[in-house]
Amino acid sequence: MKDEEIDDVLRETARSPHVLKAETLQRISDSIKTSLRPVRPLPPTWALAGGLVLVCAAVALAGAARAGFYGIEKMDSLERALIFSTLVVFAWVVGIGFVHEMVPGSRRRVAPGALLASVSGLLIGVFALLFRDYQTSNFVSAGIACLLTGLLFSVPAALLAWLLLRRGFAVNPVSAGLVAGTLAGLAGIGMLELHCQNFQAAHVLVWHIAVVPLSAAAGAFVAWALHLGASSGNRERVTRK
Amino acid sequence: MPADSNLEILMAHYQQGDFSAAAILIDRLSPQLHRFFVAQFGSRADVDDLLQETWLRIHRVRHTYRPSEPVLPWFYAIARRVRVDHYRKSSRTTARQQALDEVSEIAAPVSPESGRLEDLAALLAPLSEGEREVIEMLKVEGMSLEEAARATSSTVGSVKQKAHRAYKKLRETMSATAFRKGHSGELS
Repeated sequence: MKDEEIDDVLRETARSPHVLKAETLQRISDSIKTSLRPVRPLPPTWALAGGLVLVCAAVALAGAARAGFYGIEKMDSLERALIFSTLVVFAWVVGIGFVHEMVPGSRRRVAPGALLASVSGLLIGVFALLFRDYQTSNFVSAGIACLLTGLLFSVPAALLAWLLLRRGFAVNPVSAGLVAGTLAGLAGIGMLELHCQNFQAAHVLVWHIAVVPLSAAAGAFVAWALHLGASSGNRERVTRK
Repeated sequence: MPADSNLEILMAHYQQGDFSAAAILIDRLSPQLHRFFVAQFGSRADVDDLLQETWLRIHRVRHTYRPSEPVLPWFYAIARRVRVDHYRKSSRTTARQQALDEVSEIAAPVSPESGRLEDLAALLAPLSEGEREVIEMLKVEGMSLEEAARATSSTVGSVKQKAHRAYKKLRETMSATAFRKGHSGELS
């Protein structure tokens, strides 16, 4: 059997008129009519993504202002330029991805998992290029402190990002949570680069970068749990009715 | 509001609170959305409720449509979410619910076009859920690859891959059916 023959069979079905009961359409119109009022469409993607980059920058700067700008003070100008421009570009790209997740029918160029993998991989590349101190003193204790600090600052970033896009509608809540977590992780890693003066390659490559995938996983989990809670809440309401 | 206005203009008017635009959209898009659900579920049971649920959700999130964007992927993305929610909910309910569904299926009036739609559902039955919806959007609803990718929150490459796999399965199934028919014809 040829593809053209399959096309014909499918087109034949498409041509057949599909008539709905008038009362079904009337019921839908009536249910909408009662609450119909003008609404303001969401702002353009660039404006929302720009807002998300600002949120990440504000959280990272506020965190470093509280803990001290020791990391950025110790960096040379090449390190500063490369690290922070990379983080801003990634926050912009992931911010656009998050906006697309919150607007139904948006164009998706990269899947959320691939976006997380690319961001983490490229950060490893940039950091491996810049940090050449291969000592590993206090690897675990210093590392865990940095990881927890990074994750701690990714929480307000995630909350503010959600607040900015609260009018959106995620057709796939877990994907949206994963992308939001990735973005929040970038805010956390930004704070660590501003603050942490431990430039050992292993420390930065393992513990700083781990903030991004862990934050993404937490975002996906929270979104899944909220969605599950919301759908079981709806079910209970329907059952009570 | 003229009934033949394009969907994007109608959607913009609907966002401005124009009820006639909303009513035209409901008249024009409901049959498509209904067919989408029937092709996915293979029967008309619950589909009217799903259609109403879809419109309520569309109404609640109508501000998320942006006037410069294509409108069909936006509608189908929301319909897909309603379908996924329904599927999850129904997979949790068990035999008791199934028995009720069977009763309502038997009670549902069968029109000539519903028979045709059930043929489509049977034809697409060997496909996975993702392949089925891609074929339905591309071949039955006439959406472009880009629109189908937007509606399914995936990339154009992934839509092409699903369509390719679906066609491979359909070729095999339809050839096998044709062979069986031919063979039984020879025997009789």
